[in-house]
Amino acid sequence: MSRALTWIVLAAAILWSATSAEMGLDKLPGAGPRLGEFLGRMMPPDLSVWREVMRGLAETLRIAILGTFFAIILSAGLAVLAAETLVPSTVWRPVRGLLAMIRSIPLILVAMLMVGAVGLGPLPGILAITFHATGMLAKFYAEAIDNVAAAPVVALESAGASRTQQLRWAIWPQMAPVILRDTVFRFELNLRESLILGIVGAGGIGLYVQTYVRSFQYDKAATVTMAIVVLVLASEAVNSALHKRFS
Amino acid sequence: MTAAFTLNAVSHHFGGAAALCEVSLSAAPGERVALLGPSGAGKSTLLALLDGRLRGWRGEAEVLGVPLSATQAPPRELRTGAGFIFQEFALVDRLTVYQNVMNGRLSRMRIWPSLWGRFGEQDHLKTAAALEDTGLSDLARRRADQLSGGQRQRVAIARCLAQDPRLILADEPVSNLDPAHAERILGLITGAADKRGIGVIFSSHQPELARRFADRIVGLRAGAVQFDKPSAQVTSDDIAELYHGTVPGAGLRVVS
Repeated sequence: MSRALTWIVLAAAILWSATSAEMGLDKLPGAGPRLGEFLGRMMPPDLSVWREVMRGLAETLRIAILGTFFAIILSAGLAVLAAETLVPSTVWRPVRGLLAMIRSIPLILVAMLMVGAVGLGPLPGILAITFHATGMLAKFYAEAIDNVAAAPVVALESAGASRTQQLRWAIWPQMAPVILRDTVFRFELNLRESLILGIVGAGGIGLYVQTYVRSFQYDKAATVTMAIVVLVLASEAVNSALHKRFS
Repeated sequence: MTAAFTLNAVSHHFGGAAALCEVSLSAAPGERVALLGPSGAGKSTLLALLDGRLRGWRGEAEVLGVPLSATQAPPRELRTGAGFIFQEFALVDRLTVYQNVMNGRLSRMRIWPSLWGRFGEQDHLKTAAALEDTGLSDLARRRADQLSGGQRQRVAIARCLAQDPRLILADEPVSNLDPAHAERILGLITGAADKRGIGVIFSSHQPELARRFADRIVGLRAGAVQFDKPSAQVTSDDIAELYHGTVPGAGLRVVS
């Protein structure tokens, strides 16, 4: 019964979406040839813009690095306030709620607000990435704190180790791999997400994507696209190489 | 010489339930004492108390000549002096065997070098000796989470030995092991203690092992001392009464 209902609801949702005239699904059959033509105009890529592209990529990378750096600092502090094992529920519950709220705001929206607040350029991008990434990273860090097994810490305490020694030799070894893994993962996301920041004027390579596409310079847009693909693949490779070490 | 420990009318409650009732007990230095009894008898609570980890108890207690407080953590000197072997081993999984054993030495190190992992020669020597005593020298570079249960147990013992304790406390050190392993581990602990001339207090629910490895057996039931005798004088009636509350069938002799 409930299974039948599930299917009916799903079917209804798809029908409701597709039958709206504004969706223009009737144009779908013509899309193939147009896409083909579009791709044709991207070939051959205009490599003469490589200097601008490199500059844009470098700026994107800087935004991702600084955004991650500031997010780490903020998250370290917020994580303590969001850890169930460290603070009372009257503290960690609202802090976690706040973090969930931060996560729910799309990055692009944050970036637009930041551009409004501090003007065009990479700075709003850095602020947006910092804000957005902290929502996730602080939660991950808090979970890393909460997942520390108590028994080894108690054992060191019992053996006469001081608080700092317990932190260094029982708590940190348990947390470090998790924190490093989460941070590298978040950096990769930050890098991907900062690629589009330029579209709203918040710095980085996105600006060139927008400029070239809007001015129909598809061959230059192709160069940008290739550069982005290379950067993302490279960051993925670095991430997975590091990943193997964090266990 | 000061006694290994002295308890005078110690009581403790978890919620409403009594874990220790008016326990008065002491052990001479170098003495091997087994705490025997069914689960829930108060063995672990008593050992936690001796290790200075219990709070909110009543009575008087002294370990290695240092009075315990019911409200505060014991002084570092006592935490260092009493070595504890935990039932679940309590190792740091991601550290090597060597570092886990070295962790037993932390209390004797200067703080800054210890945080940077710059350990002194003495610490390396003691760690190596503890690994040697427990047959772990070949596994020193292995991570703790790559060991078998029996090996992890030996790391826990080595950490305790590296601590240079003046008294060894062991909570059910062999409850998870098969009989052959259990004998070997208890032999290892008591042998190492003899070599150092220090006492061992261990809990167990296996009367044969307690008899074999302890000079003296303290029978605990429902938080109270039911008997306290040299091992050789503990009878099967004592054991039956400890575990079942009565001597089986008054008049009926159980053939065992």
